[in-house]
Amino acid sequence: MTSSEALLTALRLSDSMLPVGTYTASYGVEQYLNEDDIETADELGELIEGYLRGVIGPAEIVALGHAHRSAAADDLVGVLAADERLGAATLPAEFRDSSMKAGGKLLELLDEIDDGPFAATETTGFLGEYTAACEDGLAEGHYPVVLGVVCQQAGLGCREAALVSAYGSVTGLLGAAQRLGRFGHTAIQAQLSTLFPVIEEVCEQYYDADLTAMCSFAPLADVRGMAHERADRRLFMS
Amino acid sequence: MGYRDVAKVGLGGPVGSGKTALVQQLVPRLDDAGYNVGVIANDIMTQEDAERLQASFAGRIDEELVAGVETGACPHTGIREDPSMNLDKIDEFTEAHPELDVVLIESGGDNLAATFNPELADYFMFVISVAEGDDIPRKRGPGVTQADLLVINKTDLAPHVDVDLDVLEKDAETVRGEEPTIFTNCKAEEGIEEVIDNIERSVLFA
Repeated sequence: MTSSEALLTALRLSDSMLPVGTYTASYGVEQYLNEDDIETADELGELIEGYLRGVIGPAEIVALGHAHRSAAADDLVGVLAADERLGAATLPAEFRDSSMKAGGKLLELLDEIDDGPFAATETTGFLGEYTAACEDGLAEGHYPVVLGVVCQQAGLGCREAALVSAYGSVTGLLGAAQRLGRFGHTAIQAQLSTLFPVIEEVCEQYYDADLTAMCSFAPLADVRGMAHERADRRLFMS
Repeated sequence: MGYRDVAKVGLGGPVGSGKTALVQQLVPRLDDAGYNVGVIANDIMTQEDAERLQASFAGRIDEELVAGVETGACPHTGIREDPSMNLDKIDEFTEAHPELDVVLIESGGDNLAATFNPELADYFMFVISVAEGDDIPRKRGPGVTQADLLVINKTDLAPHVDVDLDVLEKDAETVRGEEPTIFTNCKAEEGIEEVIDNIERSVLFA
């Protein structure tokens, strides 16, 4: 059974209040809207289902799961391998930057907090080794990988960690679309409800997958992500 | 070197109040006074805006010390609840330019409730414009009441928009107490030296 502290940590890591800059990333959604490719909430939901099945599950959750298991086994090399492979599988430069910035900010935040629920993840232990590896340039510190390690250190199970990560990715994309497009708050929540079974399905499918199974296939999103680098109007970092 | 090793000055305020015009007045004066300056503009939105800002400081500051930060259509979040991406940019500045003395952080245009996170800005000024009406200070928005310095810009427009500067001054004093308020006309370069004096006294000499 999940401890109260682990549950609180899961809520904290899923909360938009967590100051790690994830609200500045749209992972291509801004460009979809710039190009008038999404008009209805249903189209938005379908797009995000595509992200879940093409990227979030087979790339992010696979990396997170491997990082979680590696952290449990005190295997820093395993965490670094997940980080390296996720970076290699993420084609648009801005997607990689957004992911690394958020990961770096989460590690930095934990490093500066000594008390409360995050004390369980204090950076003097395994997390400290991983933070040092990132600072030394041995790892890029992608957000799903950092989340996997942090969740494991805080006592969250691998499946729960995957759900935290996938939920955060989905609400991040929905939130970006809501701020940029004309989508009502109830329509956005309805899409989130529709996506819950997909979140659960991809997490079940990928959280314990082998790292070598990682792949990312969302060519249209990748193209939008690359076009965003040269977009004339930009409100998001990716 | 990191964001804690450099003085950080925030400029907030509504859209069109003259924040960018004030930054454009402050940078050359700080540069002439011998300070190494960096500039961050939140939500500059278009490439044209970014290029215009960089061009306005050409020959004064290194192009890589004039940068934009996108705040995901949340300008208030970027300077208050979650300033992590602004802090990240300042870290980039200080790593590449350890000689940096001060970074000016211009917020995206926001409402009267916008304030700067004290971990992002050691000192923040709130810029409003005469053309927004003479009731702005007495609305007691947190930006107006909490700023270290209130700047009331575009004084030249007062007669054209039926605004009494004395009312603005009196209301600002009522809601801000001892905290300073300065009237400026960036176009005519009026009041700018007073702003510089405040920054130097409160931040750079502190």
